[in-house]
Amino acid sequence: MTTSSIIMIFSGIALYLSLKALLESEIEEELYSNKDRVERLLLSKPDLKGIPPIMVVEKVKDPQPTVLNDTLIYDPLQDEIELFRQLAGTKEINGQEYKITVRAMVIESENILFAIVFTFLAIILVAFVFLFYLNKSRNATLWKPFFLNLAKIKAFSIKSETPLTLTESDIIEFGDLNREIISLTTKVQADYHNLKQFTEDVSHEMQTPLAIMQAKIETLFNGVKIDDSQYEQLDSLQNDIRRLKNLNKRLIILAKIDNNQFTDSQFVSINESFQEVLLNFKELASIDYKIEHSEELTVKMDRSLAQVLANNLISNAVKHNLENQPIKVDFYKNSVQIVNSGNSELANPEQVFDRFYKESTKRDSSGLGLSIVKKICDYYGFTPSYSFSKSPESTTGFHKFEIRFTH
Amino acid sequence: MKFLIAEDEIELQQSIAKYLSQESNICEVAADYIETSEKLDLYEYDLVVLDINLVTGSGLELLKKLKNQNKKCGVIIISANNSLENKLEGLDVGADDYITKPFHLAELNSRIKAVLRRGKFGGEDSLIFEEIRLDTLSRTAYFNEKPITLTRKEYDLLLFFITNKGRVLSKSIIAEHLWGDDSDMLDSFDFIYVHINNLRKKLTSEGAKYIHTAYGSGYLFTAE
Repeated sequence: MTTSSIIMIFSGIALYLSLKALLESEIEEELYSNKDRVERLLLSKPDLKGIPPIMVVEKVKDPQPTVLNDTLIYDPLQDEIELFRQLAGTKEINGQEYKITVRAMVIESENILFAIVFTFLAIILVAFVFLFYLNKSRNATLWKPFFLNLAKIKAFSIKSETPLTLTESDIIEFGDLNREIISLTTKVQADYHNLKQFTEDVSHEMQTPLAIMQAKIETLFNGVKIDDSQYEQLDSLQNDIRRLKNLNKRLIILAKIDNNQFTDSQFVSINESFQEVLLNFKELASIDYKIEHSEELTVKMDRSLAQVLANNLISNAVKHNLENQPIKVDFYKNSVQIVNSGNSELANPEQVFDRFYKESTKRDSSGLGLSIVKKICDYYGFTPSYSFSKSPESTTGFHKFEIRFTH
Repeated sequence: MKFLIAEDEIELQQSIAKYLSQESNICEVAADYIETSEKLDLYEYDLVVLDINLVTGSGLELLKKLKNQNKKCGVIIISANNSLENKLEGLDVGADDYITKPFHLAELNSRIKAVLRRGKFGGEDSLIFEEIRLDTLSRTAYFNEKPITLTRKEYDLLLFFITNKGRVLSKSIIAEHLWGDDSDMLDSFDFIYVHINNLRKKLTSEGAKYIHTAYGSGYLFTAE
């Protein structure tokens, strides 16, 4: 832009100077030829007076040198003083000396300058508008494949099963870029898929050896006579197997959510899901619970995941609840709240939904229950949150988990 | 009763066979697709315990074949994959029940008994142990034909005890049975005591002292 404007300014100046010089020499030429014509005319018409101020003929006694100069003359017609170029010289015709002065009006510099600037501006404007639209349309066709592909890359998900397909382009660089991006995304997708598959495969492969271990323990219980301490050992082994089994079960759920294997969405009553779990807990472990607020809450999701959600939240509340305190579950129009009592706030409340984060020292806690809750929420766009409240005069407070189902 | 255990993991297959044959059942075993297929063609069984992932072929294919032959044979599928789709597929093809690895042998046993009890296998709706009779349709227990009032869980517990009579049942086996398949159970089993003690009190008051403690913390249901 600066370069082109500098070029414009210099070419403008050069144009101005050359134009001015050209005009001047043209005028001079004209003046000389006019003077010649007047001289020839004087031969036949000695009384010629001329047409002032363009042409003035005077009779003089002595010859004078020819002078070319500028002069200002008042032009009564235009009522202004105009610049004239004049050529004055004497000539002896038929023994009489005549002083012949011819004048030509000079085009003012400002006018030339104005014409040049105006022309330049007009050219620039036209060129700019023309080039702008030309470039725009050319660019649009040139960059079209690029922007199409950019949109596709933005929409690309590593979790998707379909490989990325990009629009072909005649431009070599774009072609190269496309090939690189496709090989990169294909690799990343394959790696991600393998990783997910690996988790699921490992979890499934572990089930059979666990089944064998469990079966053998039961065979020992009912086979040869063992003593009490051996039984205790086997019983605790059985508990460890159960822990592995539960861990596996949870990892499989996480992997399945990742693999989009829960596609059976339907309207599920959250009230029913939670009440079912609460009843089961009450019946088995005689936990105490109360529901103070119970609006109907229906959410579109997979029924088994709703069950998992209810189960994990309630078993978390039951595990960490203080003794002889009821668990509170409240249903609102768009959310469900699960409240259990506790002595103190969590040390790291922001990590409560993280995988394998354990606040309590309970040996059996898998550390996956709430991260599954988070995963389910992420999958459906729900918002889980945790808060702790404690009134100053009381020694115990409340852990509150809330799931908002609005998108 | 005659069972076929089609399971390619020999150790598991043997453990199952041993557990099931304790009640004078005949247990045959098959370790792969071909062997299972042959045995199913040649012999009649009351029930097949079928691993869905046999090394040389799919258990589901065998199940389809079996159902096409119209044999009066119960099928329980074992699978390492606890997915609902697999479960539904298996049950759709005609399996009578579905159990996911790892499972307790006592649990498998109680599922087998439940399948055999169902009408179409000529079983009865009653389960009798000494003076106790369980009506599995109405889910009520009788002692000398006098009804005993039991909670749902106590009834389940008694049914589980009777189907696994004479076997040592640890707390975790009982807890997992009561808690069910899909639940995220509590890690403490203290609640088991409450249910067992209540059931024991109710039975003892009738004079049925069949729940015994085994090895300090396990349980054994026996008339001896």
